[in-house]
Amino acid sequence: MADVRTLEHSTLKVPYELLNKQFRASQKVIDREVSKLTSSAGDLEKKIQDSALTVSDVTSALSSMVDNLSMLKRKAEESIQEELGATRVIKRRLEHLQERDAYGAKDGPPTLTWQKSRLDRMLVEYFLRAGYYNSALKLAQHSGIEDLTNIQLFMLSKEIEDCLTKGDTKPCLNWCTDNRSKLRKMKSTLEFNIRKHEFIEMVREDKRLDAIKHSRKYFSSVEPNQVADVQRLMGMLAFNSKSPDCPYSELLNSQNWQVLVLQFRQENFKLHQLNSTSVFTATLQAGLSALKTPHCYKDDVNIRNPDCPVCSTNMNELAHALPFAHCSNSKLVCSITGFAMNEHNPPMMLPNGRIYGMQALENMAEDNEGRVVCPKTREIFHVDDLEKVFVM
Amino acid sequence: MDSCYAVDKELEKLCDKYKSANERMQQTLDDFITSVQGYANEINQKPHNEIVSEAVKTTITDFIERAKATNISVGNAHKDLHGSVSKLGKTIDRNFTTDFSAVITEGAFDGEWKQRLLNEVICEHFLRQGMLDIAESLNEDAHLQLPHVRKEPFLELHRILESLRQHILDPALQWAEQNREELNRRKSPLEFKLHRLRFIELIKCGAIKQREVLDYARKLAPFAEEHTKDMQLLMGSLLYLHEGVQNSTYSFLFEESSWVDICDIFTRDACGLLGLSVESPLSVGINAGCKALPPLLSIRQVMQSRQVAGVWSSKEELPVEIDLGQEYRYHSIFACPILRQQSSEQNPPMRLMCGHVISKDALQKLIVGNSNRLISSYSRFKCPYCPVEMTTIDARQIYF
Ligand SMILES: [Zn+2]
Ligand SMILES: [Zn+2]
Repeated sequence: MADVRTLEHSTLKVPYELLNKQFRASQKVIDREVSKLTSSAGDLEKKIQDSALTVSDVTSALSSMVDNLSMLKRKAEESIQEELGATRVIKRRLEHLQERDAYGAKDGPPTLTWQKSRLDRMLVEYFLRAGYYNSALKLAQHSGIEDLTNIQLFMLSKEIEDCLTKGDTKPCLNWCTDNRSKLRKMKSTLEFNIRKHEFIEMVREDKRLDAIKHSRKYFSSVEPNQVADVQRLMGMLAFNSKSPDCPYSELLNSQNWQVLVLQFRQENFKLHQLNSTSVFTATLQAGLSALKTPHCYKDDVNIRNPDCPVCSTNMNELAHALPFAHCSNSKLVCSITGFAMNEHNPPMMLPNGRIYGMQALENMAEDNEGRVVCPKTREIFHVDDLEKVFVM
Repeated sequence: MDSCYAVDKELEKLCDKYKSANERMQQTLDDFITSVQGYANEINQKPHNEIVSEAVKTTITDFIERAKATNISVGNAHKDLHGSVSKLGKTIDRNFTTDFSAVITEGAFDGEWKQRLLNEVICEHFLRQGMLDIAESLNEDAHLQLPHVRKEPFLELHRILESLRQHILDPALQWAEQNREELNRRKSPLEFKLHRLRFIELIKCGAIKQREVLDYARKLAPFAEEHTKDMQLLMGSLLYLHEGVQNSTYSFLFEESSWVDICDIFTRDACGLLGLSVESPLSVGINAGCKALPPLLSIRQVMQSRQVAGVWSSKEELPVEIDLGQEYRYHSIFACPILRQQSSEQNPPMRLMCGHVISKDALQKLIVGNSNRLISSYSRFKCPYCPVEMTTIDARQIYF
């Protein structure tokens, strides 16, 4: 289905990135065990040069070799099971997406249920991005979609964000270390910015010696485009940060932690191949655009349709900046019944120029001895005065 | 090939590789461990402080070599999986849309005010579905402080619907009585249908409830005129009250579908009276978006490859017509069949004498084309779709 192809990339790609991460972690574990084994083999190699090597020396060397080998065996097994666990997450999500295909284009109850759960998945992601963690968790639990959404990933980032907000940079710096090579590829400035903030904190607390030590450690080999930034920071050392006319009061503004939180959130999205806009927002924009007609913005509220999403108060405002639907063929709907006007329900004109479907007008005439009331103007006409209109 | 299928195939392949790599690694290590252990046991038979022979040293050197080789093979066995792992990633990227930023209107939902509007919509969506705790949680997380008056209609709607689903009629009946005037104006059958269901519940109990059944029938009398047929059916069923209506030709009265119907009727009436849409605007908007995004993205790709980005940046109208289907049509759209253009206030639809409809601009062009004179109310022209001839005053503006 086209909608699955268009909307579900992150549903699969995020757990894939976790698998990839697990792979790298496993490789590290295995490499560590392998190098332990290699070095103990090297030791043994030296030992056997000794002409006075006894049986007990050999048995203890061999038993430590067995220990090392068993350790490697266990770690390799564990690592691979972890990775297979990560593939099962992808499999589970694939199966859910394939259900959509199985139901096909039919709008039966299973499709409706699937669509409802899709909306819930979108909302969970939207909440997580907005930092509405409580709502996200509750919704995922309520709809049983925990394993279909990327809650785990976001909850990890929540911990890091919480610490950052409190000024504790350690978890975020650990995260930077864990993902160093990828962040470098993305040309991330997050780590530099954190170091900058740490420096500013030190100046604020008047720990100038620490600040200088800090700057030597982290600012001596920065990118060329960060040099100006560093110089500006170093300039702070010359001023009294408590004085009201300190030219760096903007830098000393503690609100800046929130900026770091947002930067971290953005980079975490990028790292996991999440678009900077949520699927929810993109889909809603496309939907509102496709539904948006000039009628939805007429001053005469009678023209608006309470069932039209774009006509509803909030969405009307939201859709304001979005493009209108494009329409090169007429599509007629009777505003009384909401039914299509076509050869089975031909459009009819009242003497005041208003058009309604034949069915609605006939029903009205039947109940009112041949009279019809125009719902827009409240004028009363006789059913015999209706005229046909032909819309090509 | 189907996107999910392609990824699934790659995933299966990867899992197979993992399993066979694991087996190989475990086998290699097991074999090695067994032979080292075997040899260690053998050596252990000898006196512990005996100096070992050269032959033993050679065997140990062999073990050392084997250990190194095993190290390499185990390390590589895992490293070699990387190719398949990253192939899975590439298959996902190739088969799914990685980036839809091209079809996003930048900043359309940005800013605190828009965020609030959107969050209110979401909150009402949950209220409407009766997911009250989630609505409440969002209310807190997003600092909405939605006033109670905005929640109340949804809560009432949901409370009554929930009872109806459990076949409890009282809350709905009460509501219908309170709103009788407005419901009558709408010619809603709601109140009658609710009483009808209560009557059917009584019939179900059989002859022991005969008295109540007859009493209740009197209650139904005011509806008899409007719902003659239904009333006759209800009364007819009383013939079988003693043998059990369930086993008679009237058993259809007990079908569950009546309850589904009453929920629909109630929802439609209640939403109408409360000024709410029947469906959640959020669900409708999102489902429309799921239909609209794929064609929008593909036209965007075509436009990018032809480098006609300007069409999109106009932002006035989507670059392509998206047919969402009849259920998503809420307004009549008239597009002039001659100019292929949507009508507007400046260019409204005009009905010609014969009934054909064209836009005002097209009409003007028609007249200018027919006569080189100045346009007057009496300029003559022929309908482009039929042989009827008329003058300008025979055409009149219409309103869809
Ligand atoms: Zn509308
Ligand atoms: Zn004509």
